[in-house]
Amino acid sequence: MSTPLIEVHGLAKSFGDTPVLRGVDFTAASGTATVLLGPSGSGKTTVLRSMNVLETPDAGLVRIGDASVDFGELPGDKATRRREIRALRSRSGMVFQSHHLFPHKTVLGNLIEGPVQVQGRPEDEAVADARQLLEQVGLAGREDARPADLSGGQQQRVGIARALALKPDVVLLDEPTSALDPELVGEVLGVVRDLSQQGWTMVIVTHEVRFARDVCDQVLFLDGGVVAERGSAEVLTDPQHERTQQFLRRVLEAR
Amino acid sequence: MKTRNRVLAILGVLLGLSALLATPAHADGEGDGRVVRVGTEGTYPPFTFVDPSNEDLTGYDIEVMDAVAKEAGWSEPDYVQSTFDALFPALDAGRIDVIANQVTINPEREARYLFTRPYTYSRGVIVTAADTDDITSLEDLKGLTAAQSETSNWAQVARDAGAKVQSVEGFAQAAELLVQGRVDVIVNDNIAVLDYLASTGSDDIKITGNAGDEISRQALVFPQSQQQLRDQADQALERLGADGTLADISEKYFGADVSVENPDEVDVTTDRDPRSWGEVLQDVAWPMLRGAILGTIPLTAISFVAGLLIGLAVALARMSPSRLLSAPARFYISLIRGTPLLVQLFIFFYGFPQVGLTLPGFLAACLALSLNVGGYAAEIIRASILSVPRGQLEAATTIGMERWQAMRRIVLPQAARIAVPPLSNSLLSLVKDTSLVSVVLVTDLFREAQNAAAFSQQYLPLYMFAALYYWVICFALSVGQGKLEKRLGRYAV
Repeated sequence: MSTPLIEVHGLAKSFGDTPVLRGVDFTAASGTATVLLGPSGSGKTTVLRSMNVLETPDAGLVRIGDASVDFGELPGDKATRRREIRALRSRSGMVFQSHHLFPHKTVLGNLIEGPVQVQGRPEDEAVADARQLLEQVGLAGREDARPADLSGGQQQRVGIARALALKPDVVLLDEPTSALDPELVGEVLGVVRDLSQQGWTMVIVTHEVRFARDVCDQVLFLDGGVVAERGSAEVLTDPQHERTQQFLRRVLEAR
Repeated sequence: MKTRNRVLAILGVLLGLSALLATPAHADGEGDGRVVRVGTEGTYPPFTFVDPSNEDLTGYDIEVMDAVAKEAGWSEPDYVQSTFDALFPALDAGRIDVIANQVTINPEREARYLFTRPYTYSRGVIVTAADTDDITSLEDLKGLTAAQSETSNWAQVARDAGAKVQSVEGFAQAAELLVQGRVDVIVNDNIAVLDYLASTGSDDIKITGNAGDEISRQALVFPQSQQQLRDQADQALERLGADGTLADISEKYFGADVSVENPDEVDVTTDRDPRSWGEVLQDVAWPMLRGAILGTIPLTAISFVAGLLIGLAVALARMSPSRLLSAPARFYISLIRGTPLLVQLFIFFYGFPQVGLTLPGFLAACLALSLNVGGYAAEIIRASILSVPRGQLEAATTIGMERWQAMRRIVLPQAARIAVPPLSNSLLSLVKDTSLVSVVLVTDLFREAQNAAAFSQQYLPLYMFAALYYWVICFALSVGQGKLEKRLGRYAV
């Protein structure tokens, strides 16, 4: 088997005296979708944010492709560490729970900001790519709209397109449907499902168990800052651990 | 008499060049054509006032000064107008070379300054409201309140007689306080009082007696460092006295020669008929507009832009994790917000020259106002940056932006929109705060109103008129704010 695209090893993080992650390990192959599940406070969002260094772990290693940061190892000098973090970040695109679109820019402006300003790509090329992405998420023709003019579902689809516009190796999605009205959830999940079929490598934090069952190649069930159970989508139909069973029962009953 | 282009004089102050270039370099005897900077009130008729019909600074002291300059071989003097209490600080700070403003010779002043020979002999008189009969001599002043220019000789006379001094900005204001019953008495020069009575036709106030027996002598006053100028002026005065020039000027204003001891009774019946407030407003409309265009508006614009830049830099420093940056920023904000603007202006204009830093009036005013705006803007900008949701910075980070790039392209544009209403408040305050700059010899629109008020005593219409000017400027700015908000408000978070 070839080297996995994503490798997370020994990830640990405390907020003050409260440990949130206590050694999380997993790998993910290119083109797969990994779903992080778990009760609130289990650390799943922190794992995702650590992969983009929005949170700085206390210890552990994160590698995506050939970019890696070993947080346990003290950096030789700060400039080297900054370079490492910048390289790791450039491998992933992030989709936030509440989209965090730039309200002062148009839809198109949101999409080309990273490619043009950070990656230095020519604007016409970035615009062409952005139009294609908007078509892909079903928002062709809304290039000049402001985020505030869009519905919640449309905003989140722009958020996904913005992450894809960076041409990342991995897309990280942090509860992409949790902030949406129920009738808008479907359109966003549909887009994510398409991405999965197109072979994007994704790590998704979600509570949508049925959706997770449809798309995921790997499930990690987190509890108390460690991976309590892991496996293929079957974990979701036939969980072995009691905590996983409890959690799934509660989530499914709530629907 | 010679016409004097006050627009040029104002421009001179504006550019601050005259003040810098006129520093004495050499003076080998007379006739070197130097420009002497003369401090004068311009609000003390008939000695120094602005003639509303042609806007020329004129009066007895001004004509004497012009004659002295000509006789001494100097160029036409550069007049700087200010309140009396600001004249001596300006002389000390080297901003002017001489005061021509009926400065009375007394021992305290003689110890600190150089006087020429006197060109006015007058006596002090006691002035009260028309219905007051029991205040006729200095002995009666004990325990009363007298309205005086704080640093004038007459204030000292009143104080020595046991009166409490209420500080005013000139005789016209003092007379107004007396009429309104806010003070009990004024001690002043008999000529000035007689002129006031003649020109206003007022029977609300009256002269009730002499302030002592002494004849007071008024002369030009120079700083100790200007010995040579003083000597030239003194010799010029001697010659002007001998050839009858002083007597001619004096006759013109007072109907008597007050430039010699024991002058005849003065007759100040003037051709300056009391004018209606309509005429007064008509005459002052253009000078006030010019004061707005050359003073108020550029001061506001320059100080606001500079203040915003300072505010942005200080706000960023204040939010820096480095104490080396945040501590000074905190201190600066606290200092600016914790001290009156007027005090800041005085420190810049009168304080710094004492440690060798003499800035032209306009520049000093701009600096003080900019730093003041900066202190307030810093807190507004900081609060606005903090109110941009944290997720925006995170989103910028995940698309690969460095901190400064994220600040510039993502956070600041959004903070700007939040900051527009409070910053507009600062701008409107600034427009109005510029009226304070008349104390640092900068001519703005309010100074023009004060000039006209001193001459005509039409306080209510003139100050209402000045208020109208400020209101129009502020109204225009509010409209601009509305447009800007609408433009920025096309997106809502």
